[in-house]
Amino acid sequence: MSTFLRSLLPFFIFAAIYLAIAMMVDNSYYQLIIAMVLVWACFGLSWNMLSGYTGLISFGHASFFGLGAFATVLAQIYFGISPWIMLPVSALIGAVAGVLIGLPTFRLRGHYFALSMLAYPLAMFYVFQWLGYPEVTIPRVTENPALYMQFGDRRVYTVLALILLTAIVMISRQVERTRFGMALIAIKQNEAAAEAAGIDTLKWKLRAIAVSGAIAGAIGAFYAVVILVITPNSVFGMLVSAQALTVAMFGGVGTVWGPIIGAAFLIPIAEILHAELGTYLPGIQGVVYGVAIIVLIIAAPEGVYWKARDIVRSRRPRRTEQDRQTTQAAPAPGAADAAAEDRRTVHDEVVLDVRGVSKNFGGLRAVQDVSFTVRKGEILGIIGPNGAGKTTLFNVLNGFQKSDGGQMLLHGTDMLGRRPHAICAAGIGRTFQVMRPFKRLSVADNVKVGAYVHAGSEEDADAIARAAVDRVGLSASSDRIAATLTTKELRLMELARAIAGKPEILLLDETLAGLGSDESKEVVSIIRALAATGLTIVIIEHTMQAMVQLVDRFIVLDHGQLLVEGLPEEVTRNPKVIEAYLGAKWAANA
Amino acid sequence: MLEISNLTSGYYEVAVLHDLSISVNAGEFVSIVGPNGAGKTTLFKTISGILTPMAGAITFEGQNLLEVPPPRRPHLGIAHVPEGRQVFASLTVYENLELGAFTQAGRAAWKENLEKIYSWLPVLGERAGQLAGTLSGGEQQMLAIGRGLASSPRLLMLDEPSMGLAPAIADFVFEKLIEIRRDTGVTILLVEQRVAEALQSADRGYVLETGRVVLEGTHETLQADDRIRQAYLGM
Amino acid sequence: MTPTQILVETVLQAIVSGLFLGAIYGLMCVGLAMIFGIMRVINFAQGDFMMLGMYAAYFIFVSFGAQALFGSILGPYVSVAVATPILFAFGWAVHRLLIRQVTGIRTADLEGEGHYAQLILTLGIALALQNGAMILFGSQLISVRTPLASQAWMIGPLWGEAVAIFLNKARIVAGVISVAVIVALWLLITRSRLGKSLRAAADNPEASTYMGIDVDHAHRVAFALGTAVTAAAGGLLATNYPFQPFVGLEFVIVMYAGVVLGGIGSVLGAFWGGMAIGLVQQLSILVLPTQLQNATIFVFFLLIVIWRPQGFFGRVSERT
Repeated sequence: MSTFLRSLLPFFIFAAIYLAIAMMVDNSYYQLIIAMVLVWACFGLSWNMLSGYTGLISFGHASFFGLGAFATVLAQIYFGISPWIMLPVSALIGAVAGVLIGLPTFRLRGHYFALSMLAYPLAMFYVFQWLGYPEVTIPRVTENPALYMQFGDRRVYTVLALILLTAIVMISRQVERTRFGMALIAIKQNEAAAEAAGIDTLKWKLRAIAVSGAIAGAIGAFYAVVILVITPNSVFGMLVSAQALTVAMFGGVGTVWGPIIGAAFLIPIAEILHAELGTYLPGIQGVVYGVAIIVLIIAAPEGVYWKARDIVRSRRPRRTEQDRQTTQAAPAPGAADAAAEDRRTVHDEVVLDVRGVSKNFGGLRAVQDVSFTVRKGEILGIIGPNGAGKTTLFNVLNGFQKSDGGQMLLHGTDMLGRRPHAICAAGIGRTFQVMRPFKRLSVADNVKVGAYVHAGSEEDADAIARAAVDRVGLSASSDRIAATLTTKELRLMELARAIAGKPEILLLDETLAGLGSDESKEVVSIIRALAATGLTIVIIEHTMQAMVQLVDRFIVLDHGQLLVEGLPEEVTRNPKVIEAYLGAKWAANA
Repeated sequence: MLEISNLTSGYYEVAVLHDLSISVNAGEFVSIVGPNGAGKTTLFKTISGILTPMAGAITFEGQNLLEVPPPRRPHLGIAHVPEGRQVFASLTVYENLELGAFTQAGRAAWKENLEKIYSWLPVLGERAGQLAGTLSGGEQQMLAIGRGLASSPRLLMLDEPSMGLAPAIADFVFEKLIEIRRDTGVTILLVEQRVAEALQSADRGYVLETGRVVLEGTHETLQADDRIRQAYLGM
Repeated sequence: MTPTQILVETVLQAIVSGLFLGAIYGLMCVGLAMIFGIMRVINFAQGDFMMLGMYAAYFIFVSFGAQALFGSILGPYVSVAVATPILFAFGWAVHRLLIRQVTGIRTADLEGEGHYAQLILTLGIALALQNGAMILFGSQLISVRTPLASQAWMIGPLWGEAVAIFLNKARIVAGVISVAVIVALWLLITRSRLGKSLRAAADNPEASTYMGIDVDHAHRVAFALGTAVTAAAGGLLATNYPFQPFVGLEFVIVMYAGVVLGGIGSVLGAFWGGMAIGLVQQLSILVLPTQLQNATIFVFFLLIVIWRPQGFFGRVSERT
């Protein structure tokens, strides 16, 4: 049995038990509820595919659901097409709708994205009403009803729903464990960093919404078949979109278990309340959902699954001091590579030639006409006081910000103006001043996100990631969850993630910030060891202290301009540098 | 006046300051210098209550500051001129000053404070009706200082007033500080990267490195100490 | 009447109806802008706060004697005046008990700075309010009945003997009151100490704390004010627009469209945004079937956010 199937074992057990229970129920109303739990679980998984993994909240999943439902019913009414055919067709419609909606809407983020997504199904709602479909019913088929997915025994629907759910869970798991899922999670954590790690974020988001829309379209079609009568409100209404989000949020976002747990809890409660009290209290279902959401978001903002998992985790014996010591005692890679470090050679070949790069923000000239070259195998330090324009320079170089002039020649080709993922793929990697680890992933998986740029397969990516973790000396911690790392380990992990992209040039943004002097020495020797393997490194830092031990050459920026360029000992004695750092008066005294 | 003892503080679970002790006496001008990342801003944010310390104590005029909710602290007479100026960009210069005088003491002395602020920093008077976001960096810094003074503070905390300013303008800001102190006798706690300016005007100074005090003393003793140079330049 | 005269009359009629309806929309939008602009919280339940305002005005008018005491002409407006402070208190309580848990400093370490949680929480509030209202009030269409709703002022004839515009009295009064409320609110925000502290808290919460402003409290005031203003708009609308518990859904997008159009954070901009929506909606009837009126607004909204997320009146674009 492959690891993939083994990881699904708990789900298969759940499915078998669920099926057994379903088979024992003969009340047709309860049978309907049992099938509906699965329908809404599937719909929740569809939402999870987009919103759970990418973090872009969709309030408009009813669009896909409703289109699938209406397509199926209308196809049978007008053309006599069987739902067996319309189910995959609806999936296709959902996928196409997803891409069409995604293309313009992915320009937006956060608030705007969520709100815009809400507008789509509401617009469709009015359009379908205007088209003259206040209510449509699937025609009863008397001859060979099974050909039209109509069954006397409602338990068949549960079986079908379970098959659908299994397929969707398998798709979800497959997405989760491959570069697809990794890309989506990376987008959720930090879209900019994801781009910098070589991920074409728009492409992956479109894929996600296509898959998500397909699932929603198919499940909408199935819903119509089970429920027989649909109205614009019952498939495009806000309650429908809310239901996807509620079951997923309630159960837990970003895991296949979330929507299943959520649906299994909420649907029966709401349905039974509706059945028992619906006549007297017609909106009770909505109230229950509403209150459930309110209570949940305040008590367990991340959902039942994560809450339960966190509780279980915290019960287990924590990593003890002893554990930490063993990780600490792991041989420092710097030491191992000390010999290699001595052999490091800086070639004459210029790999990066930056010419006259400028960047303005309104009237502020953050970077002014900065030119420098970097030679192969060199470690170049860029220093300067706060606000000197160092990070802006990096942002321009790796494509986050458009330059206002200048060139960046990588082996003679101008790279300025390309998107970050393209610059990354061309061989320029970077790390960030503010660390954004993927907290719930292990060190190995964190690094793997960066490894896909040049990996042909999952195995390749794993191997590249493992090698990268090795090179920064984190092998002993590679299974630890990122949230448990120290600052130094996080910095090293980010370093590993960047080198997993197999860059030729690595831009390091304040990799030494926040480290104690011993830690900083350790990281310095690791960086030097990396350079010894032929990697070219450009590092930004505010403080010079650790840098003089690290770099071959400095350039000093002040007020966006290149102040001085030279060897460490020259630069630290340069009066202009002393003035920039310590002030004019100090320079006068010295 | 301000007594910080054994303070450990930082963001989330990561400590930036370690077991830090600093005191400021009434009427004193104290500078804290240190390279970036030393924890200067973290210290100020902890005093103002934006960050909650993990250990240690802060008292202001004998009162336990940690028990005072953050928005009440300015009302005790502490004005914080934050790093990066943080003026209210969408409000006018005059409205920014008015907000500075949000405290009881500031409102009571509004008229005379405004007059004094305009006389120290005449550019604010000239630009009173202009939106703060349209000011230059140096003007914004003066506005941030003026806004701090409008609250009639007893302790004025300044976080890197020279940041991002051209040297001549930074010098001007420091001169103004000395003038303001001479005129009002307000207690000043300054954190700065630019060591020379910061120490020259101060009575006493602390040198901070990676969240710890590595040196303290009068500005003469500090300026003579080569360790500052080392802390900054590494050699 | 010649065909040209008929066309001119229809267009003029649509523009004038759009302007007065737009004024009410503008007031709704201003309420939302108070919340969205100052706290940067998307409140999905804003439409349902408006619905509560409508029902509050209705019950004060019908059941609590406003009709009996002030008659059918003055009564509805007295009811709105009484309902507004009630909804202010409601908004205050909702913020104190719920919204506060997912906004402000404490959400800094939640995903997406807590936006995730805020969206979902207000969605929950919206669902509970809509369906709760259905349980309590039923789902039949009602309105605050005033004879003004069936009377009109006529302007004209403007072109010879033809081309006259009819102004529904209830709408005109509601529109005029809306404008008055907005002027008062604008004065409050720009002139008063409270208003300035609200603007400061919106501009820079951290610096506001350094000024001694309690940002949490400022947010609560903004939330309550925003709730009250939108509810007042609802009450005014209720005199000429039949409603039911799900009426908020029709308007929540209208409100966001107006706020985005006006530029986030700008209270006056939101008013003009709402006005624009009113005009678009009324003019759309000229070329599209009435059922698509609301669909037009949604499409209009999508076009605006996608092409110009910073709005037409706004200067500052929200960071993404």
